[in-house]
Amino acid sequence: MKKKIVSLLLTAAMVAGLATGCGGGPGGTGNSAPDVSGETEEVVINGITYHKATDITEDKIELTYFHFDQKETVEYLAERFMEIYPNIKVHVIYNQVGESSPGAGDGYNDVLAAMVGDKKTPDVIMSSDCDFALSNMLYKDISPWYNTDPETKNLADTVNDCGLGCFETNGRFAVPVKFFPTAMLVDLNVLETLNLKAPKRDWTWSEMIQLIKDATQKGTDGMQYYGIGVYNRLDSYYGIAAAQTIKGEFGFNGDSFDLATWAVGEQEFSDLKLAGYAAPATGTLEMEEWMGDFDGWCGASGHVALFSEAFWTFQGTWNTDAYKEQYDLDIVPYVVPAVSAEDATKDHHAIATIDFGGVTTSCKYPREAYELLKFMSYGVDGWKTRIEAYNNKELVNASGLALKYDVMPCPITKDQEVWDAYTDMYCEGMDDTHKGYWKEYFASVMQPIPFGWTSIAGYWNFCDGYFNKIGIHDLVDKGSKKAADYADEGTRQANSYHAEAMLDYFGPDKYDILTDEQIAKYEAMIIEQNE
Amino acid sequence: MSEKNEKKEVELLSAREERRRKREEKKNRVKVKQGKLAKRDAMVGLAFISPWIIGACVFLLYPMGASFWYSLNNIRQTPLGKKYTFLGQGNYTEILFRDADFPLEIIDYITSTLLSVPIIVVFALIIAMMLNQNIKAKGFFRSIFFLPVIIVSGPILGMLTAEGAGSITAIDTQSITQAISNFLPRALATPVSDLFTNMITILWYSGVQILIFLSALQKIDRSMYEAAKIDGGSGWECFWKITLPTIKPMILLNCVYTIIAISNNDQNTIIGLIQSSMFSGIKEKGYGYASAMAWMYSLIVLLIVGIFAVIFLAKKDVYERQVKKMKKAMRKEISTRKKIERRSARNAKKIQKARQKRGYKSYTGSGDY
Repeated sequence: MKKKIVSLLLTAAMVAGLATGCGGGPGGTGNSAPDVSGETEEVVINGITYHKATDITEDKIELTYFHFDQKETVEYLAERFMEIYPNIKVHVIYNQVGESSPGAGDGYNDVLAAMVGDKKTPDVIMSSDCDFALSNMLYKDISPWYNTDPETKNLADTVNDCGLGCFETNGRFAVPVKFFPTAMLVDLNVLETLNLKAPKRDWTWSEMIQLIKDATQKGTDGMQYYGIGVYNRLDSYYGIAAAQTIKGEFGFNGDSFDLATWAVGEQEFSDLKLAGYAAPATGTLEMEEWMGDFDGWCGASGHVALFSEAFWTFQGTWNTDAYKEQYDLDIVPYVVPAVSAEDATKDHHAIATIDFGGVTTSCKYPREAYELLKFMSYGVDGWKTRIEAYNNKELVNASGLALKYDVMPCPITKDQEVWDAYTDMYCEGMDDTHKGYWKEYFASVMQPIPFGWTSIAGYWNFCDGYFNKIGIHDLVDKGSKKAADYADEGTRQANSYHAEAMLDYFGPDKYDILTDEQIAKYEAMIIEQNE
Repeated sequence: MSEKNEKKEVELLSAREERRRKREEKKNRVKVKQGKLAKRDAMVGLAFISPWIIGACVFLLYPMGASFWYSLNNIRQTPLGKKYTFLGQGNYTEILFRDADFPLEIIDYITSTLLSVPIIVVFALIIAMMLNQNIKAKGFFRSIFFLPVIIVSGPILGMLTAEGAGSITAIDTQSITQAISNFLPRALATPVSDLFTNMITILWYSGVQILIFLSALQKIDRSMYEAAKIDGGSGWECFWKITLPTIKPMILLNCVYTIIAISNNDQNTIIGLIQSSMFSGIKEKGYGYASAMAWMYSLIVLLIVGIFAVIFLAKKDVYERQVKKMKKAMRKEISTRKKIERRSARNAKKIQKARQKRGYKSYTGSGDY
């Protein structure tokens, strides 16, 4: 009898467990304001005056923020947000981009997709590539709030002019969360050793190439000097610097691609590398021969004139005390030069690392989620809090490094108060000359154009299905193919992938926001490109 | 000849008689209504196996059916629910004819599996036989060989491999890889050289197989060895004539186990490929594409299991083969005899009819027709 009871209980427990497991989350529609009224009340915390929105719910709600920003900084921001809005509980979930199991894809997307599958979609997300976010309808159209928010009028020029995050639609699906401008970082000590003049601030592309060539020479110490140390590829820089009409990589003009421009930059970059103007890469025999260390880094050689390093390398590596003591480097930033002399004399488009984020389609409180997104990204209040955190050396990451040195982004708002505080914080400990270099540089970086995978629908599909599949970079870099050989076919393929993605994401099956004319246009593009 | 035939006829008749008797029994059987106790017993039995039945339906049959349905669609997992677009065989043709990685990875997988399974199984057998000897600290050594199964799993294995712990340091794997690449085609060179690079990892997979072999070896009747020894059989002969035939079913079991272990582990690139396709933002990919990949992959795994099953199931021992041959010959003879009998009966009938119809007379030898 006991056995029977136990078995029946087991069965019942299992069935109940199954039923519970298969059940969906609680339902509900939420209640959000349809736009941003702009009405605020002042709240002072830690001496910072915040402008608390008054048109958001007073109910106790919970929001989830899923991100790959700096973990401790975001946690600090979330705490402050909850202090400003005590009725909103923010759950922060951090996952590093690129963390994945062997052979698998991007761990960040995997985790996000798994959460969506489990009906635990976060309310606000950062996205590592737009094709993933759009094909899975993760981004909600936040234009009702974005367009009525006065703060969005004061962002870096290209955000609104080039419709970054709009994906060539009338909607607003994503906003820039993290902004890292690109810079050509010049080691003035190397130029001085080689008796070369520092370039002028409004230099052109050809002047930069000439400097790279001039700086490549055998040093009197017997060690080779190189013109450039490469991290970001110069063809990516050239593709945007070539013309002010270009709004994305591979010559994207907001409508279609033209790889002819890219091909010029790609070929030039390959020629530079093949001719020996670029410093050896880490983990190569050339590096071992040059620096005597297989795992050496050209940034620590003191024998490289220019660097296409990421923005965060300066603050995170070269500006740390340990580095300044050990190496005799004098790194200053220059804007990526424009190709035409006319563009070079004024602020111009330059490629930048911009990570986007948005409110998800299933979010029940989009107005409140929008406020959280703004606080974490371009919002003035959020940036004041960030700068406060960066100034506090006691706030450290898991490695014990102050937050300022851990991949610190730039403000994408043009708010002067924020920029003044940021520049002071950034240039702490620098003399006036160097402070001047950075101030001048920061003033010229507000025309950023993001890398294609974050801002152009179908870009990643094109890279995956055509560009990287063939391995074009490798072929051209090795000199076995010319970049121009791929310009025509690449253009056709890129346009086809873009049109297909636009129809797929924004067509009737998903967002359904394309007009009949737009659908006809993209269909015609696909037919034309495949003929 | 006659004696043999008679014996067969007797056998045939007795078999026929037996069948007739069973038919009669079945006809005469009275249906008895199940008693309360029997019913209750049946219910209890059902209750006991119901977790398994429910589990199999929910976690096996339903996912299998769903994944097959997925494989026929393009699916996007959105916060608002799944979006399906029916493609039919579209995902399969896309994977076969346009996917850059899957076909190549499958070829590598097939070759490496066919190469590494025999190595793992043979290694496990050798170690099991050694551990079955009468040696000191037997239990300790058995634990040592089983430890990797417990410790080296999932992420740990990945980390060890990344640190280069998967290869034997004494072997110059780079030279071997280079030498192999020089004379073998790429499709074969990669898995063969991988074999040397991951030699330790391969051997780590042998823990469970060693245990299975060990238990099989311990089940062999010692008297068989004693008898063989009395007849002058050497250790080598005993292995081939007694040990190996006796543990043959376990060899197949271990082969199947090894194939499944190799095919489903974290290090398997195809699993990684399926996973990345599942979450990919690329238009063609997603759950549907990944499901189609998974189905194709599982068919290939089944095929490999089938190959090993054919190798180890087909060869029965000499006695069984002879019995089978005899039975087959007997059946053939009986059917031939039946055929002849039927033909004779037909011919006799035909002749009879012809006689009646045409007044046919057989030739008497008189010269008149």
